[in-house]
Amino acid sequence: MDFNWRAWNKILHRDIGYLSVATVFIYGISGLAVNHIADWNPNYTRQKVIISVEPFTSIGKEEIIAEAKTKLQLAEDPQNYFRPDSSTAQLFYQGITYSIDLPTGNVLKEASPTRPVLFEMNQLHLNATKGFWTYIADLFAVALIFMGITGLFMLRGKTGLSGRGKWFVGFGVCIPLMYWILYLYS
Amino acid sequence: MRYYIMFLLLFVLALNAADKKKFGKELTLKEKTKISDILAAPEKFDGTLVQVEGAIVAVCEHRGCWIKISSDREFESIRFKVEDGVIVFPMEIKGQNVVAEGTVSVKTLSKEELIKQGEMHAKEEGTTFDPSSVKGPQTTIQLMGEGAVVLK
Repeated sequence: MDFNWRAWNKILHRDIGYLSVATVFIYGISGLAVNHIADWNPNYTRQKVIISVEPFTSIGKEEIIAEAKTKLQLAEDPQNYFRPDSSTAQLFYQGITYSIDLPTGNVLKEASPTRPVLFEMNQLHLNATKGFWTYIADLFAVALIFMGITGLFMLRGKTGLSGRGKWFVGFGVCIPLMYWILYLYS
Repeated sequence: MRYYIMFLLLFVLALNAADKKKFGKELTLKEKTKISDILAAPEKFDGTLVQVEGAIVAVCEHRGCWIKISSDREFESIRFKVEDGVIVFPMEIKGQNVVAEGTVSVKTLSKEELIKQGEMHAKEEGTTFDPSSVKGPQTTIQLMGEGAVVLK
């Protein structure tokens, strides 16, 4: 029996395409988000609240923490404590930071919750987790190359690669090539 | 289809097995250096690989490409800078303790460079920066990070 490479080309393109749809969406959406990282934070939202309490009178670490817990009605001890300068004390809780201006009693409460779904997509897209995802991302990259190649041979005739396809492929090659040449010499 | 689902489950399990507390390379040094010692005599440590420990008091929100580690002395901290994308620190680690290894980098920046850096940092941290606060050239000390382990 003759080996029908076009039929296999179609089968593999279709099934690997199905398998890759979710990852294509993740990389595509995250790509849009992180492309504009200079203009916005694609991972976190920043929440800031100013709370005004009476000026702090304590000096030592334990006393400042105790005074802050009373004034800010915090039930638990902070995870950590830091003095960035002589007038500021910072109290760190899980996901929340209190920066206290001791002489005035002005407290900046900050939280940076993640943007749901988008954060996870960005972590996968940028391979922030490293580990096993590196291999999955490699497989996905190979799958994309494979789909690019098999996609070229999906159709025959006027709409195939030998017809109008070659012009589109040519334009597709020219776009990054021309951009790079202009970038180098402009 | 059964094998396909099993394959997917294995993927998910493998993903969850990733250590969320280790970043970058394994720590190699046996002894820690006090951050206060580095800041007191930076030239002595310039270009040296050191291991430090402290609380994470700030994290780069945009790219997770640096953390600020508190010193053992009050009012001091050091910036632990990593290569963009090689290590990505999540915001969740803010306030936790860390043991980190990196090479001490001491650089003198011009007034213009400091203003540019200050504006960039302010944008990353979501704060404001007053260029008039820069009076002249200044020496900056940071660790070029290689690996870190976040402790509870």
